[in-house]
Amino acid sequence: MDDFMHTTITMMTPILLAALGGLFTELSGMLNIGLEGMMLSSAFLSVYVASISNNLLIGIAAGLGLSIILALIMAYLSLNLKANVFIVGLATNLFASGLTVFLLYTLCNSKGTVFFPKAPKLDMIEIPVIHNIPILGKIISGYNILDYLAIVLVFVCFYIIFKTPYGYHLRAVGKDSQTAVSVGISVYKHRMIAFVVSGLFAGLGGASLSLPLQTFVGGMTNGRGWIALVAVVLGRGNPIGVLGASIVFGIASALSNTLQASTDISPKLLLTVPFLVTLAVMIIYSTKRSNEDA
Amino acid sequence: MKNASLLRTFITIMVALGIGIIVIAFTSSEPANAIKSFFIGPFSNVYFFGNMLAASIPLMLTGLAASIAFSASAFNLGLEGQLYISALVGTYITWKFQGLSPFILIPLVLVISFFTGGVIAAFSGYLKVRRNVNELISSLLISYTLMYMGDFFLEGPFKDPLAGLAASPYFDSTFMFSKILPPSDLHTGIFIAIGIIIIVYFVMKKSIVGFEITLTGRNKIFSKYAGIPVSRVTVVAMLMSGGFAGLAGIIDIYGIHGRMIRGYSAGYGWNGIAVALIARNHPLLVIPAAIFFAYLESGANVASLFSDITPEIARIIQAAVFYLITAEGLLSFIKARKEAVSNG
Repeated sequence: MDDFMHTTITMMTPILLAALGGLFTELSGMLNIGLEGMMLSSAFLSVYVASISNNLLIGIAAGLGLSIILALIMAYLSLNLKANVFIVGLATNLFASGLTVFLLYTLCNSKGTVFFPKAPKLDMIEIPVIHNIPILGKIISGYNILDYLAIVLVFVCFYIIFKTPYGYHLRAVGKDSQTAVSVGISVYKHRMIAFVVSGLFAGLGGASLSLPLQTFVGGMTNGRGWIALVAVVLGRGNPIGVLGASIVFGIASALSNTLQASTDISPKLLLTVPFLVTLAVMIIYSTKRSNEDA
Repeated sequence: MKNASLLRTFITIMVALGIGIIVIAFTSSEPANAIKSFFIGPFSNVYFFGNMLAASIPLMLTGLAASIAFSASAFNLGLEGQLYISALVGTYITWKFQGLSPFILIPLVLVISFFTGGVIAAFSGYLKVRRNVNELISSLLISYTLMYMGDFFLEGPFKDPLAGLAASPYFDSTFMFSKILPPSDLHTGIFIAIGIIIIVYFVMKKSIVGFEITLTGRNKIFSKYAGIPVSRVTVVAMLMSGGFAGLAGIIDIYGIHGRMIRGYSAGYGWNGIAVALIARNHPLLVIPAAIFFAYLESGANVASLFSDITPEIARIIQAAVFYLITAEGLLSFIKARKEAVSNG
């Protein structure tokens, strides 16, 4: 059971990080479906650069940099050139999948799985005292820095969104952009910032996929960006809600993993579990919402 | 207005090709050769040319599929999965009943594949209109699930034990569509695809269903007041969309593969969306747009055979098309630049 909880948290981190990013664009009134591509590009670049520079921070910075560039391209095309934000999001995903395979082939001469033994490992942090408590110790302690960072960032985001002027303005832009404009809030500026923040978080999410494994696999995000998007929708504009949804999806992924290890059910069928759970949660939630409306 | 969007499409394609040239120039050790193979390769002989047209067949149908959903202002992002599972179902039925006459079985399988994909997409449409679930996300999540389920059957219960890869057994070759330009893969399925597109063109243009779909897509609230059953229209549009994706899958099997192969259709759905965007949802324009996308794909494949580039370059060019094709500000941006240059 404690192992299962541990896997849940580990599986949750990339989804939660990307979803926090998606939350900012959602609050600004735009659905960012490019999360998947931003994650994927950062998953590749962070582990690759960490390996050649032998430095984790430089690796993460590179991954975030690429992810933010993709976010800026999205923002520029949709905000300045008035392109459809969904289509530009698809473009981001398509571009990232092409770019990562292309870079993997050009830089590592491979198209499949590449192991980067030279990339520094993300250390497991064992919290003193707590670590020795039975069960609880294993649930709370022994994760890598990005896992802890993700949880901390939930509260940081909560603070930013609900306690700072920027947060108020951002929500105003998303709720009613015309009114926001009439009181002097720049829609353009807030949406631009929201995109950059989403790139930052999605990039962190991507790094949290590849760095702990010191490995990149083509297409390794595997729908996590989309699941994160559902977590954003279900979170109803609140980081705590996003955390709740991410926990559910973490459990679904952990279930899929644990069953793959412990039963002989086909792994391909078990891989459908996170998607089916996500879909089911989305349907149940929506029913509830239409009841409330009525 | 019409000219503006035409010009935008033209600029998008030119910029995308330009990006392709730049990427090749930077990565190939013999860029001139690679670029030449990329652009001229698909036309260099009957084999490459026929294969390019063969590759355009599924894209015509997925392009049509995407454009019908778009016309009703719905996003069907599940084309990949709808296509894959419909092809699997169609292949299985063909293989199971291959004692029957192709003249009876093939039309039956086409109908079954149509409704397999159609019902799946219609479910997302239903969720949208009844439960307010974003169809873009639901169709995608369902698509992921279906891809894995398809893989499961091809790796297990429906795998040909003698095949070296995850693939179903071959069905009898009498079921295969005839070839047009041997030795290339081009097959008579292209006539079915074009025929369907022409029918859909007239349906969209002349029939009540077509009118209702277009009107719903233009303005939902107005349509509701005009007495159009908007919810039902959305579901029907999704049904047709998924259905054509299903046909794209099974026609490719009948035309080229003769069996179901894991991952054989990767990218058909996404490219279909791009095809619909280039065609601006006009059914007839889907044909040249699909051929253009097949050309990009074939060019990259030919260039990877004769030089040192990787065929994934096509994906980067396709992404560039996606990025720019809806950018309404593209023209004014270029105009502003021109003025800035001439003034400065």
